[in-house]
Amino acid sequence: MIKTHPLILFELAFRQFKNTIRSNPLQYIFISLLLIVMYWGIHSATIWGLDFLDKIPNYDAINLVDAVIQRSLESLLMILMFSVAFSVLTTAVQTLYDSHDLPFLLSLPIKANRVFYMKVSETYTSAAMLPAFFTLPILVAIGIHREAGILYYFVAIASVLALYAIPVAIGSLVALVLMRFAPAGKVKEVATGLSVIFAAALVFGLRLLRPEQIATMSPLEMIRFLKDFAEFKISWMPSSWTSEAIWAALDGRFGLGAFFLLAISVVSLWVVAQLAALAYSEGWIRSNDSIKVKLDPRVRPMPFWERQLLRLHKHGHLIAKDIRLMLRDPSQWSQLLVLVALAGVYLVSISSITIEGSQSQRYRDAVATLNIAFTAFLLSGVGIRMTYPSISLEGEGFWILRTGPLSSRELILSKFWHSLPSMIILGGGLGFLATFLMKSSSTLSFVSPIAGLCAGMVITGLGVGLGAAFPKFDANSPSEIPMAAGGLLYIAFSLCFAIGMTALIALPAWRTIQNPNIFYWSKPQGMMILAILLVVSCLATALPLLFGSYKLSRFE
Amino acid sequence: MIEVENLVKTYGRINAVKGISFTAQKGQLLTLLGPNGAGKSTTIKSITGLIRPTSGNIRVAGFDVVKNGVKAKGSMGYVPDRPYLYKKLTGRELLRFLGQLRKVENVDAKAQDWLEFFSLQDFANELIESYSHGMKQKLTFIAALLHEPQVLVIDEPMVGLDPRAAKQVRQLMKDYTQNNRTVLLTTHSMDVAESIADEVVLVNKGEIVAQGDLGQLQDNIGKKEAGLETIFLELTKDMEREQMMNEDNYSDLGRDMAA
Repeated sequence: MIKTHPLILFELAFRQFKNTIRSNPLQYIFISLLLIVMYWGIHSATIWGLDFLDKIPNYDAINLVDAVIQRSLESLLMILMFSVAFSVLTTAVQTLYDSHDLPFLLSLPIKANRVFYMKVSETYTSAAMLPAFFTLPILVAIGIHREAGILYYFVAIASVLALYAIPVAIGSLVALVLMRFAPAGKVKEVATGLSVIFAAALVFGLRLLRPEQIATMSPLEMIRFLKDFAEFKISWMPSSWTSEAIWAALDGRFGLGAFFLLAISVVSLWVVAQLAALAYSEGWIRSNDSIKVKLDPRVRPMPFWERQLLRLHKHGHLIAKDIRLMLRDPSQWSQLLVLVALAGVYLVSISSITIEGSQSQRYRDAVATLNIAFTAFLLSGVGIRMTYPSISLEGEGFWILRTGPLSSRELILSKFWHSLPSMIILGGGLGFLATFLMKSSSTLSFVSPIAGLCAGMVITGLGVGLGAAFPKFDANSPSEIPMAAGGLLYIAFSLCFAIGMTALIALPAWRTIQNPNIFYWSKPQGMMILAILLVVSCLATALPLLFGSYKLSRFE
Repeated sequence: MIEVENLVKTYGRINAVKGISFTAQKGQLLTLLGPNGAGKSTTIKSITGLIRPTSGNIRVAGFDVVKNGVKAKGSMGYVPDRPYLYKKLTGRELLRFLGQLRKVENVDAKAQDWLEFFSLQDFANELIESYSHGMKQKLTFIAALLHEPQVLVIDEPMVGLDPRAAKQVRQLMKDYTQNNRTVLLTTHSMDVAESIADEVVLVNKGEIVAQGDLGQLQDNIGKKEAGLETIFLELTKDMEREQMMNEDNYSDLGRDMAA
């Protein structure tokens, strides 16, 4: 019998990856450049932070600075570990249960556990690659700053990679349990629901720490806080073991913690692959095949909400279809929950800013001006999940619309109208509530909701337009769609708009900060600035839509 | 009717279609035949507006597909070779949506008739994701027929259909041309083509190598009794030889990989 190469499936995956890059090298060069810039930014910021902390004097007997850096690294690793845990559940369901190539791979004369070694590696790469990338420049910066030896770099990188393997193993195990026990055919829905609950708990947990308190501390309080922080340690958390291992490596030691971490991660991933192979023949088949359908052949009348949408003709039909698909697809409706969570956290953060004293109104107005940019940044983050993927979400069923009596322009406009209400309600609402909670002066209270509405409109136009210009119909989930050149362009343009809009409002804001009693918008200059804002917003909305329509009509 | 005039389609340096011309008249069922990679799918996709021709003209029911695409598509129904549908809609919801988009009157009643024709009525309120491949293919047929288009374009109609449905579809395609409507079909099933086609266009390497009814094609190769399969094999010999050479290359590659 001919023996196959033990890594043949990994070779296959690597070859596919190489071919993907080869098919569109320019796009990958662009992404690589962007990643290099991000790496450089994180590295520089870390070096700056370490230099800054070095200036803090030692306190009592402990090396305060070292302890603070170690605890900060530990906290960061803990957050990133939880973020891996958040994303891994849906990823594991996708790779271990729903991969298109699983039936093919499992039909090959290769042991099932070898197929699942590759699938677990795929899960690990998808869930942990980005957090690992963001951790790398920090570890390197610490090494350079502390003039560490070569052992440090090996141990630090291996420990962090091992750390992220632990949530991957746990998440994959939960996914396997779901495949066995979740209601048949509902595995993805349950996994997405659990992920969203977990993410919301994590975000609100972080909010409870109230980081804004640091800004109001006196120097003595700050030293006390840092001392408490330096002594705060959760020794049972894997992130603590990792930071211990990294710190030991800084002194040129290979700690026992590093050994345990590596051993646990390798063993846990191996166990998951074995269990996945076992579950394949048990739970996987059960949950795929045992869906009992209760047939009901009655012709049901069209629901009331759909009849109302019919008044919008073609747009109404398309919007009704999109609403149905969104509500039935957990990968889409979970995005809505993320939107609500983001908006909630943002408003809680705004309301917790306490500014008092004789100059308080000026500070409030300054914060309200910055809030205009932050609202647009937030909308941009929401848009990348809500509006940018809207055309690509047609998926492989896009041919239905393409061969129907529908122009690209009509399709794009219907997507625009579908996304616009939620985006302008969010933009306008945040603009209004933020100035209301901060008790800003009338000039900023007036313009902030308008700016929010404009940002909502522009970001919807940018999202739908650029999403149509760079569609990705074969994506497995909405979060995968913007991971390409079009998504990066969308982020770049929406951030440019946010900065430009804030710059345009900066002059009225400055005048208001100087004199909070004036209402700048009744002056001719104020009216002109408002008119420019509206015209620029309309153009920044229409141009991407036209570009998207043109590109989509030529899409093949 | 469908009029294709000097259709050229290139993908970078590859000429997928090199100046194809043919006309499918009203009341005619025209079959496009050819080996894999001959340019059939590219031609079909150009006719349905899924891709833009590099040059040439295509008119469907008198409307230019590129310049007046919406009207051309309005008078056309299309059944693709792979039935990708919105899996989170029910069969009935999909048909209602398409009926509304195409302004079909009494869409629910018409959809019900077609669902019963294809024995899908019991599954009409189930999500499409729970359908088998054959059920999806039947639903795709209903979606294409719901608005009673003047032109029906079908790419590989028999894939995934059970024998009863295959027989129904064969008869349906034959009957569909009777009210002055046009059917354009691509298939690898020679017996289907032979039994229902009024005219055959044989495509090879992006060009038409033969065109006409069965009698004309038999004359073309000089064999009076030849069936469509023999004609096909005779006229695509070069292609076959080339393919065999490629297969040899693949075998070499396989040997290299095994080593």
